[in-house]
Amino acid sequence: MGNYYIRRTARVFATVFIVTSLTFGLIRLLPGGPFTQLRVRLLRQGVPASEVDARIANLQNIQPDAPLWRQYIDYMLSAMQGDFGESISLGKPVAQVVAEAVPWTVFIVLVSTVLIFLFGILLGAIQAYWEGSRFDKAISALSISLMSIPFYVIAVLALFILAYQFQWFPTAGTHGTDVEPGLTLEFLVSALEHAALPIFSYTIGGIGGQALAMRGNSIQVLGNDYVEVARLRGLADRRIATWYVARNAILPLYTGFLLLLGFRLGGTVILEQIFSYPGLGYYLWSALESNDYPLMMGTFLVITVALVIGVYIADLTYSKIDPRISQGESDAY
Amino acid sequence: MTIESQQLTGADEVEDPILEIKNASVTYDGGDTHVLNDVTFSIERDEIVGVVGESGSGKSMLASAMLDAIPAPGRLSGEILYHPDEDTTIDVLNLSDEELRSYRWADVSMVFQGAMSSFNPTMKVGSHFKDTLRAHDEDVSEGMDFARQLLSDLYLDPERVLDSYPHELSGGMQQRALIALSMLLEPEVLVMDEPTAALDLLMQRSILMLLEDLKEKYEVTMVFITHDLPLVASLADRMAVLYAFELVEAGPRDQIIGQSGHPYTRALLNSTPNIDAPLEDMKPIPGKSPAPVNVPDGCSYADRCPLASEECTAFDPEFQLIEDEHSVACHHWEQARAEIALNFAGADEIGVSKGGDSR
Repeated sequence: MGNYYIRRTARVFATVFIVTSLTFGLIRLLPGGPFTQLRVRLLRQGVPASEVDARIANLQNIQPDAPLWRQYIDYMLSAMQGDFGESISLGKPVAQVVAEAVPWTVFIVLVSTVLIFLFGILLGAIQAYWEGSRFDKAISALSISLMSIPFYVIAVLALFILAYQFQWFPTAGTHGTDVEPGLTLEFLVSALEHAALPIFSYTIGGIGGQALAMRGNSIQVLGNDYVEVARLRGLADRRIATWYVARNAILPLYTGFLLLLGFRLGGTVILEQIFSYPGLGYYLWSALESNDYPLMMGTFLVITVALVIGVYIADLTYSKIDPRISQGESDAY
Repeated sequence: MTIESQQLTGADEVEDPILEIKNASVTYDGGDTHVLNDVTFSIERDEIVGVVGESGSGKSMLASAMLDAIPAPGRLSGEILYHPDEDTTIDVLNLSDEELRSYRWADVSMVFQGAMSSFNPTMKVGSHFKDTLRAHDEDVSEGMDFARQLLSDLYLDPERVLDSYPHELSGGMQQRALIALSMLLEPEVLVMDEPTAALDLLMQRSILMLLEDLKEKYEVTMVFITHDLPLVASLADRMAVLYAFELVEAGPRDQIIGQSGHPYTRALLNSTPNIDAPLEDMKPIPGKSPAPVNVPDGCSYADRCPLASEECTAFDPEFQLIEDEHSVACHHWEQARAEIALNFAGADEIGVSKGGDSR
């Protein structure tokens, strides 16, 4: 058992290492190379040509004229220490930019994904119990329609109508400019106001898929003998609905939940752009636009690590939640 | 469906019935599909009844009917009478929901086919016992003591089984745990629907022996429903044969095995492998049993019966008493006894007829 945990944990580090290396390599392959742009900009700023390489080395922990393997080792070593270099466009360390952006993105993604699952499971379960009813048919149709609308369409519409036309919600930022960040009611209300539309548009489209999945799972579980046997054993309906039906129907959705959490971090690139919400995705986009390679690397890495950790947690906890899944080679001693 | 109810039935031959099934029919599709057709049958207190029938003959429907638990949207008509003692009668089909809830499992309990699917896979076996006790407002710790006793009666290690998830037990262990679960509230009647279907032969035998022990110890009446005629023949006091959703023959075990009067029963006996008969003598029954829709007039076995006459296709044979406690639904039961020889030792050896093709 312990053996499995160690090996699974080792695999997390291996995956992150490989992804970092790949990202490093891919960015070298971008047309123009990572430093051409920077070199041009520094020259334009009037930095003497003889000093440009030194400046780049200072900024990025990398000697631009060193061989690629040398650059790679330098980058990996400093990345391991949490030093991702300095953002070219923002003039701040990448680590600091990421640290400021991550909480906002995590907030949006976590809240919207949890809401998706809460509403999806609830709707799907009710649909399954009333299978074939008008409610069931209406919700199914609505779910499919919502699934077919991309979240960014909803986002643009919500922004245009609710924020610009009705002016019920702010149009940009994570919190009001006049509000000091801190644990004050004022700040929390302001943060919620700013996050409401991004969360809404990131949630509404996803509910349909989960509702349909939960509906399907529940109908399948309801057809199982053990539900009928439980009824014959005289169990109360509520006990059967929760412990015999819902539990078995939700289990398969659990892995999906953690994976979705990771994947949706990547989706914030578009979402945060629409709402000018300075989170991870927002900075990734601006890094791409301004050829800010260090920032690009940093944000890519955070998203990757988040996904890898999501799968890791799913793997480790699934056996705790579903007794039928045994942990790796639990019996092999 | 009660128009053609019969007067003379096997039911009359039971002295102290614990469960009476009268003209029970189960229909689907608003009456167009019959999956149980006018079955009348009584179960005597403290006996073991074997109900035999092939797949799709209405066996499971008969079992579910005894608990008024026909899967929706099926409709059960007729009468199910339960007698907790000789002088009391409970009309099961007219019980309120709450009364029905306490009737099931506490008075008449059931072992489903496929133990694996009868347990919630994400719940420990012990929780199933506790859930059942709580649902019937029983004392949980007392009930669990009884559960442990039942499990050890079935040669299981109670602590280990109760603390296991269903998938951690073997098929035979699950089946025995399920039997213990069904006996938990000390029911008067235990209905078993193919309780040994998924088990190997050795396990089937040992479960049967355990069931006999249980019956002796806890004085429970057992209804054993199966497709496996020789299996139940070793256990049952009385037997009933279902064909195409109808009861075709019922009587004491030895009468059914050695002196059966229905051509179907005799053909079924001859199609069963046994040591006395060489393989060439084993005869599968030609043709197939009718679907539950558009059941033709007359005897539903007439199509496959070597003795079928015009009378058979025109009139439904009555379920009639042919001798002590032995009832048959056939116009030609005497002919059947004379012309269809049984292929095992000890059977009546009168006449040899090859029956011929179904057409």
